[in-house]
Amino acid sequence: MLGEVPIGAQYADTGWFGVAATFMVMVFILYNIVRAHNRHDLFIRRIPGLNAINDAVGRATEMGKPIVMVPGLGQLDAIAVQAISIFTHVVRLAARFTTPIVLCCADPAVYTVAQEMIRDVYLQEGIEDRYDIDSVRFISDRQFAFAAGVSGLVLRDQAAACFFMGAFYAEALIFAETANSVGAIQVASSTETTQTPFFITACDYVLIGDEFYAASAYLSREPVFVGSLIGQDWSKIAIIVAIVIGVIMNTAQIGALKLNQITEAKSDAAYKQLAAPRPITMDDTTMSLMFNPQDDKTWKVERPQKPKDTADKGAGK
Amino acid sequence: MEFLAQTDPGFWFGQPETMDLRIKVIGCLVFGFVLLAVLLNVPSRWRKYIVGAITFFAGLFWILQFFWPQPLHRSPTDLPANPKEVVSFWLDDAVPVVSDFTSILTAMLTLLGIFSLLRVHLGRLFKMQKDWAFSLVLAIAFVCQATFSLWDYYDRKANPQITAGHGWHIQNYMSDLLFDGMVQQFEAAMFSMIAFYILSAAYRAFRVRSPEASVLLGAALIVMLSYMGVVTQWDGFVKSMAGSNQFLLNFQLSVIRSWIKDFVQTPSIMGIEFGIGIGTISMGLRLWLSLEKTGNI
Repeated sequence: MLGEVPIGAQYADTGWFGVAATFMVMVFILYNIVRAHNRHDLFIRRIPGLNAINDAVGRATEMGKPIVMVPGLGQLDAIAVQAISIFTHVVRLAARFTTPIVLCCADPAVYTVAQEMIRDVYLQEGIEDRYDIDSVRFISDRQFAFAAGVSGLVLRDQAAACFFMGAFYAEALIFAETANSVGAIQVASSTETTQTPFFITACDYVLIGDEFYAASAYLSREPVFVGSLIGQDWSKIAIIVAIVIGVIMNTAQIGALKLNQITEAKSDAAYKQLAAPRPITMDDTTMSLMFNPQDDKTWKVERPQKPKDTADKGAGK
Repeated sequence: MEFLAQTDPGFWFGQPETMDLRIKVIGCLVFGFVLLAVLLNVPSRWRKYIVGAITFFAGLFWILQFFWPQPLHRSPTDLPANPKEVVSFWLDDAVPVVSDFTSILTAMLTLLGIFSLLRVHLGRLFKMQKDWAFSLVLAIAFVCQATFSLWDYYDRKANPQITAGHGWHIQNYMSDLLFDGMVQQFEAAMFSMIAFYILSAAYRAFRVRSPEASVLLGAALIVMLSYMGVVTQWDGFVKSMAGSNQFLLNFQLSVIRSWIKDFVQTPSIMGIEFGIGIGTISMGLRLWLSLEKTGNI
């Protein structure tokens, strides 16, 4: 339950709960990154999709055909950077065998970062002269123009292996089916849960959900990545424990979730006395409020006012 | 600090098409190039610290914006009521300015993207490499679309009386033909192809090859049938057979479909999304603290 006066707009619905949960995840991850530096016995389960990377690169090398990589349709964010990070592993393997690669981007910022990261890989391998500047390409920032461009490239070059990782939308199935039609081995992952079933249906290997983020730790075993992966697992365990406690409390009808009479309820961003007590509903729970934030427009806050001559200019956006 | 969060028209706000704004744009460009030159000449061992510091402070702004109590129901005439609100008002006012930095950077990077596209295709065209004809089509389309769209834009700006279908000239017709008549239609055609791909993908997925595939096929059949006319017949039949037996009513297709969606599909998706969300926070943290490096993998 909230206090009488919330301390900020983002705390108006759920109090400290939502922000504290995010803070808890951050602490878990940072603590485990520090902890992983002193531990070398940390276990990561087998992920078939990542084991398949070596096979896919090997196949492309044997066939002498290119590897096509697509980091999704999204902008330059954590998802795109993670996708390119995985691709650097693919490119490193391909560079050692002089296998041609093509990385297709839909966002200019992603294109720029990808170009730098791929160039770095060739530099680290000591074969900068083999780096083809056109192997990282900007295709189009329009969804279906990008889909057409990548599909055409896969078809014309008869790609031997395709990696689709990142934020994909309706074009996911176009990519996957086109690659399937040329017999390319496909490893895919989408952070969009609506597209994951399409990839599972059409691709050879799929990284589901957070396997996408586990890839860095799995491929490198670097303490930073392994630590953050364990931090993620701790966070998931905390969420699971919260769910189990919630289920037990709700089933046993104890605590805040009991199906009891309530006398006050949230209305216009404030708890107000009800005319008559009523049973608590799902809409009254903190979890419901967290996912359905309310408007704070009716919340009155007394503040000093700007002088009249400057008040008109003030933005207060 | 007031420099970043200006509510009144100040340094960051310029009226369009004024000399003041042009001078600012040119000044910022020159400043940008000087900054770039300085960064390029900095010893490489320092460069990563500079980039790390910039990333940290840029990220710190958004972290603060997320955690620091945001102002409640703020009106344009309000002044901060206490020291906490001084910071929250400053953050609130700085958000549009900081967001604009991202937009400007994106605009610059778009030019780089176009440069990449043209370099690949013009290179192929001039060297008459394999599939050069496709590159020729792209080059012609690029020039035509850019020319007529810009011409149309400035024409409409100079002649506001031009409305849909009235007072049009060649530039308006061509722009309309190229974008609405071609680009949009091509995109719609690509989108419509998904229907056929779904069919071919579904055929492969629903072949009974393993126990898991059989469960998938069974669940898919129930959901598909429940959306068809057959549901009315079957549900009616179950209702008539069930009578007062509430348990038998669970065998209605619409009830089974709801159960699959609410108790199997939704929890699975929520579980996946929790994992993705936490993974994104983890990746964001590593990027913010410069722990993510290319050489690590």
